[in-house]
Amino acid sequence: MVKYQLEIWGEMCPIPLIKAQRKLKTMENGDVLVMETEHSCTSQGIVIWAKKKKYGIEETEVANGIWHLELTKTHA
Amino acid sequence: MVKSQRKWNIAFSAFMGMLFLTLMQVNLKIALIFVLGTGLGFTLQKSRFCFVSAFRDPMITGITEITRAVILLIGLSILGFGVVYQISEWTHLSLSLNIFPLGFSTIAGGVLFGVGMVLAGGCVSGVLMRIGEGFGMQMVALVGLLIGVLAGKSSLAFWRGTFGEWPGIFIPAFLGWIPTIIFELLLLGGLWKLAYWWQNKHLGE
Repeated sequence: MVKYQLEIWGEMCPIPLIKAQRKLKTMENGDVLVMETEHSCTSQGIVIWAKKKKYGIEETEVANGIWHLELTKTHA
Repeated sequence: MVKSQRKWNIAFSAFMGMLFLTLMQVNLKIALIFVLGTGLGFTLQKSRFCFVSAFRDPMITGITEITRAVILLIGLSILGFGVVYQISEWTHLSLSLNIFPLGFSTIAGGVLFGVGMVLAGGCVSGVLMRIGEGFGMQMVALVGLLIGVLAGKSSLAFWRGTFGEWPGIFIPAFLGWIPTIIFELLLLGGLWKLAYWWQNKHLGE
C-alpha cells in the first residue's frame, strides 16, 4: 500500500475531481490518495463521487473550514 | 464546533438577534426578509449544496444525484408557486413577479454568467456564502458581482429590446391550473427517470 498526496488546495471545482480521477488511474488497488481542501463543496463533491464509485473514502473536518480526504482505491 | 469558536458564535448570534430586533422597529417586512435570508444562507452553507454540479457532474462523472435534487427542488417550487398564486387570487393581493419570456439575451446572459462563475469560483449565493466563511478572493468577486448586477438591471430593457424575445406563454391560461401542475410534474418525473438512467449507464449498475 502506497500513500499519495494530491495538491488541490485553492483549486476551483471541478479541477480537484478531474485531478483525482487522473491520479487514481496511475495507482494500484489498495493505494490511498490523500487530499486537503478549504472548499466545502469540493470536498462534498469528491465524497459523493467516491461513494458512487464504491471507493473507500474518509472525510474529516480537521479545523474550521479545512477538510482532509483519504480515498482508497478498492477496485480498478 | 471548535472550542475557540464558541465565544464568537455566542457573540455573533447575539448581534444577529439585536439586529433583527432593530429592524423590527424600522420595518416588519425588512425584518422578515432578514430572517429568510439568514435561514437561506445557513441552509446553503450547512448543506454544501452546489447548483452547478447538477449540470456539470452528469458530464464529468455521470453522477446525477444533485441533478435529481434540483429536479425535486423545481417540483416543490412549482407546487409552492401554485399555492401562493391561489392565495393571491383569493385574497386579491397582487404579486410582483420578475418573470420574463425566453430570448437570445437569456442565453447570452447565461453564458456570461457561467464564465464569471468559473473565474470567481462561485455563483451569487456561493460568493455570498464564502464571504461568510472568510474567503478573501470572494470579496473581490463581490465587487464585480455588484457592478454586474447594477449594470444588468439598468440595461435590461435595452437587451430585451435589441435581441427580441419569444412571446411568453402562460400555460395555465390554456390548460387551467390543475392540469398544468400535473403536466409539469409528469415532465419533471420523466427528467428524473432520465437522470437516473444516465447515472446507472455511467456507473455500470
